[in-house]
Formats: sequence, C-alpha cells, structure tokens
Amino acid sequence: MDTPSAASALDVRRLGRVPYAEALALQEDLRTRLGTGASGETVLLLEHPDVITFGRSARADSALLGDAELRRDGYEVFRVNRGGDVTWHGPGQLVGYPILDLRRHGADVHRYLRTLEGVLIDALADFAIAAVRRDGYAGVWLDEKRKIASIGVGLRAWRTLHGFALNVDCDLARFRAIVPCGLAGVEMVSMASVLGCPVELEAVAARVAVGLVKAFA
Amino acid sequence: MPKQIRMPKLSDTMEEGRLIAWRKKVGDAVKRGEVLAEIETDKADMEFEAYTEGTLAQIVVDAGATVPVGTLIAVLRLPGESEDAVAAAQGATTQPQTPAREPQAPAGQAPATAPPRPAPARAPAAPAPARPAAPAQPRAELPPPPPGERVIAHFAADDDRIRATPRARRLAEEKSIDLSEVTGSGPGGSILVADLESYLSQLEGQPPDSEGVRATPLALKMAGERGTDLEAVKGSGPGGRITKSDLLAYWKREHAHSKEREAVMVRGTLQLSQKRKALIRNMVRSKAEAPHFYIQMDVATEALRNLRDALNREAGEKRPRLTYTHLMLKAAALALERHPHVNATYRSEENDIALYDAINIGLAVDVQDELVAPTVKDCQGRTVWQLAEEANSLIQRARMRKLQPADYADGTFTISNLGMFGVDRFYAIITPPQSSILSVSAIAERPVVREGRIEIGQVTTLGLSVDHRVIDGVRAAQFLAEIKRLLEAPRELAQDGHALGS
Repeated sequence: MDTPSAASALDVRRLGRVPYAEALALQEDLRTRLGTGASGETVLLLEHPDVITFGRSARADSALLGDAELRRDGYEVFRVNRGGDVTWHGPGQLVGYPILDLRRHGADVHRYLRTLEGVLIDALADFAIAAVRRDGYAGVWLDEKRKIASIGVGLRAWRTLHGFALNVDCDLARFRAIVPCGLAGVEMVSMASVLGCPVELEAVAARVAVGLVKAFA
Repeated sequence: MPKQIRMPKLSDTMEEGRLIAWRKKVGDAVKRGEVLAEIETDKADMEFEAYTEGTLAQIVVDAGATVPVGTLIAVLRLPGESEDAVAAAQGATTQPQTPAREPQAPAGQAPATAPPRPAPARAPAAPAPARPAAPAQPRAELPPPPPGERVIAHFAADDDRIRATPRARRLAEEKSIDLSEVTGSGPGGSILVADLESYLSQLEGQPPDSEGVRATPLALKMAGERGTDLEAVKGSGPGGRITKSDLLAYWKREHAHSKEREAVMVRGTLQLSQKRKALIRNMVRSKAEAPHFYIQMDVATEALRNLRDALNREAGEKRPRLTYTHLMLKAAALALERHPHVNATYRSEENDIALYDAINIGLAVDVQDELVAPTVKDCQGRTVWQLAEEANSLIQRARMRKLQPADYADGTFTISNLGMFGVDRFYAIITPPQSSILSVSAIAERPVVREGRIEIGQVTTLGLSVDHRVIDGVRAAQFLAEIKRLLEAPRELAQDGHALGS
C-alpha cells in the first residue's frame, strides 16, 4: 500500500547524455507507472546530443532549414506532444523532465509552469544571474530579448511530460538553425555567455535538483 | 441528455485555450478515459480525455481555434440517445459557462429574456468569437440545463478554489469531508461523487493512530512535515478526524500568535533615509549582477611612511598635511592611468565594455552612520597635493552634510578605507556601474620574511574586488601589483611637485 510519505517523495535522477528518443521512452514509461502507482514522482536531469524538437504549435517557418538539411547538419529531429514551438537541445544544456501528477500540486497548469520558472530563476540567482519571467512568454528571460531557459510541457490526465531546458554552457550557434520558440528577434543566451566564464553543468544540476525537491516533494 | 464538452479550465489564471487537434472524428465511439482532443494554454499541452462513454456527435470548435474557457467545443451523444437530443444540447449554450471578469451584456443579444439558471452564468467580457460560430438560437427557447453532475466553481473557507459537483458537495457536507483533501478526477480536476467514495473507503482502511489521535492521512503527513503536535488540533472531519482544513486553520492561528511574539521581540524600527534606500538598491544590484572576484596583496609601508613624513616636514604650513589616504589616492590614479581597462564598465544594454575617459575616484566616508562616497574628479595628471586638497574639501563637506549630488556622481573607481578601525583585511562591494573597488586595511607591525630572515615590518593588506565581466584575473593582478609597486617605491607619487626637488 502506498503510504503518504512515499507518495510525497520526489525521485531526482541524474542521467548523463541521453539520446532524445531514449529519454522520451523513459518519460512515457515513468508516466504510465506513475498512473498505475507502480512508481512515484520523478525528475530526470540530463543532457541531449544535438536535437531539434517541434512542439504542437510549431509554425512552418520556425525552422530555417528542412528536416533533411537539419539532419545533414548533425541534428536529430523530433515532433513531440508538448506545448510551445521549436527548440534545440544539446551538450551543455541542462534538460529537466519532471514526471508529476499535477493533482498533487494544485491541478493548475499555469501554476506548474510558473513554479518551474521560479526554480530556475532561484538557481540562476545563486550564480549571480538576475533572471525574470516575461508575461505571456513562458520560459526564463534576462530581459525582453534574451532568453536563458525554455519551458514546454505535455499533460495526460494531469500527469506531466517534457519540462525545461536551461542553457548552462552550450554552443549557442546551434540555435541558429531555428527561430527559438517561434519568436523572431529573441537571442538565446547561456549562463556561461552571461557570466563570461565557464560554468559547470553538474553544479547547476545540483542546485536545480534542490529547488525541484523544495517545490514538488 | 447529450454531454456538452467545454473548453476546460486547466488553471485559475487560464482564460482561454487553443484547440490544437481533435483526436476523434464525428461519429467515433469514445470510451471513458480516451483522449478526445489536445488543448494548449501557455506552453502546456493537455490531452483532454472523455469522462463519459458515448459517440462524438458534433465538433463545435475546429482545431486551431482559440476560445474562452467554458466555451462549448463538442457534443457527446450518450449510449441510446438520438440525434435530436444532440441538436438541442448543442444549441443550449455556446457561451462560456465559467464566469468571466465583468458582467456585461454582449452586443446584439436580447438581454434578460433567458430563464434563470441554477448556476449564475455571467456573460464574458468581450468573448473571442468561437470559430466556427454555432447556429444561434433564440435564448427564450433554451432548454433547461442538463441534470446530473455539473461542475461549478466554489470558494472554500480558506479561499482555495475547489471544484466539485453539487452532488459531491452535498455528500461531502453530510459526511464531514474536507473537499480540499480529495483528488478530483472530473474535468479541470473537479471532484465527483466517485472520488468521495474512494476517499471514504481509503479512510476506513486507515489504522488508528498509536496515541489515539485520529487524522486523515493527508493531515497526518502535513503535520509530520511541519512537526505539528496533533493533540492541540481539533478535528471536524469524518469520525472527528483532523483534516487538512483543520490543520490550516490551526496554523493560521499559530502564525498570528507568532507575529505577536515577533512584535514583542523587536525593540524598534529604523526609517530608511533616501541614501540608505539607494545604498540597499545599489549593493543588491551589484552582488546580483556583477560577478565579483577578489584578490589581495600585502604591501610594505615603511617607505610610504618615510615619504609622507618627509613631504609634510618640507611643506610646512603652505600645503595640506598628507595622509596615507592621499597617497593611496594618488597611487590609484596613477595605476588607473596605466591600466585603462580597469577604469571601465560593462554596459548590459549595449553588451559592451566602455572605457572611461576621466579617472574619478570615490572615497567611501562614514558620516554619522551614513556611508557616502564623494568623488575626486579628473585625477589624471594632478599632483598629490591637488588631490589631497580636493579630497579634504569633499570630506569636510561630507561631514557637514553639505555634499551636492554632483559631488558623489560619476565615480569610475572607489577606495574604501577601514584601516583606522583596526581591520586587518576585507573586501568591499563594488559600486555599480564601476568595476572595481580597493579595500585599504590597517597598517600594522607584522613579522615579515626578508632575504631568509624573519623581521618586524610595517605592512598593510590591500584587497581588490573586481567585476569579472570587465576585468580578468591577470589584469586585476597586474593592476594591484602596480599599486603595490607605487606604494613600496613611492617617489613617483610626489612627482610633478617640487618638494623633493627630484
């Protein structure tokens, strides 16, 4: 029988660099198991190899290259059932996939998005980066133009899939094949590009993990 | 009665949703729990499930459209129902049922002819047109709303919005169930009678607490997390159990008590001056935006003392008496002249580094518990006596509180000196938008190693706090080394004057 304390634990798993398809399958599996009570709430923290994913509201012109050209340039390409437009994942970017039952956290989609943003903003503050929310544009921003983290989630029966991607110390040129989030004129930045020095992904992951546990466990 | 499917409210702040895609076609059989459509709000996609079995009879809102919460988006025909019933249900209400902000009659609609409804549905303020618009029927002919479980919003005592069907709400009242403890499985997380039944059966299986205190599993868990002793809490739930609401009310009372206690502990509060407010703002901004790093060097000060004494002896009454602060000021000015990249600032708007033309050095001064940093302007090319005169004048005016805003504006570098308070070493916080600050500590006799022997030497420790966006470690080290060199071999500090006749 599920005891209350077991239900409240959040299992944060640090994975290394995981191919997108593999991580997606793991998420789906965890979400199914969460639904049947076979496992509890989980967060996956990982990196992806170079990949471009299109959300359900991606516009046709959000990628500047066709799928074939993207693949030739070394990107994997996926179309996925999360909110948001197009985005890039790759080395040096901290990706987080919380698998949660939002009914345990207020059954409020917007509150969930704002909580994720808050966790990232708090973590960035610990690295002396003052980041903010932007009304109407989910994600974490430095100002009107510069975006440091993307958010996009998918829900089935209030159980979450997908999550966030925080640019820690990644090759920002890899964003150039797309119009991030379908927003022209947005500049993607990373913690390293803002601070002007290398940033350890591990250190950021540890900080983000603490924030997630505080927010959701 | 056919089931009306409406745009769900997935968040208290959700006002409209976008229908991304229909997963079922008109005529498709739908089982409970099957995904009907995908809906997006903000950056979240929700797979929208059917919670009754039936046949998708009509799609009212096409994929791609954005409509207000509560808008009729489809009609589901329940097993055994006819097409006619569907037409009636579809015409019933195309307006959102969830109340929007301001009551306001939409233009072109006959007001006040609609029959009263059990749930007061106010018209939305300027509703976005549902696409495609459903055929409008005269409102006077509206059939009564469908019976059965319908979701309405409800404000519980603690203002937390809980959604439940009226039947579930009645049952909850009968059985003293705290609705905030029940997980809803209806649309938008609303609570159904079935949810209450499973909640109750869960309670029945719960073993009594070892100490005889009975609380719901959720309340037990919450109390455990906060270390609350349940003995002190009164229960109002099923069988006198302590519920989440009981616990929240208890905590609220306790919190009020602790505020009272806190008020007793505070002796008084201090009103913040404008300067203090500006300082708070600046220091927080500096630490949040400017990534500081720190270096320090020990400086032997015997030569500096000898120079100061010699200069003051020769100058007599004609010139201001030189202090270590004046000599530090001159040394910093010379070093900044030689290291122009330190006399610079990072500009986030332009995303560049601006090199300052002038060298304006602020001197942090404490005046009756207030910190000010009047600025000695245009230090380049001026003699130590000129700098000393201006510094003295500024400090004197600061003590008399006669400084004008222009006197502490436009600094490009700051010196903070806590030497007179016996501080051995420290690092000051950079004053934005400057990119470094020199921390000067006490000059003291310390054991020093010279040519393999331990001697007593006069030493001070200089600290430099640096904004890494502008200055890297090597450049910071070179700059501080320049100051150290100027102070340890200080003849240059007196040049351009004639006191030494050099």
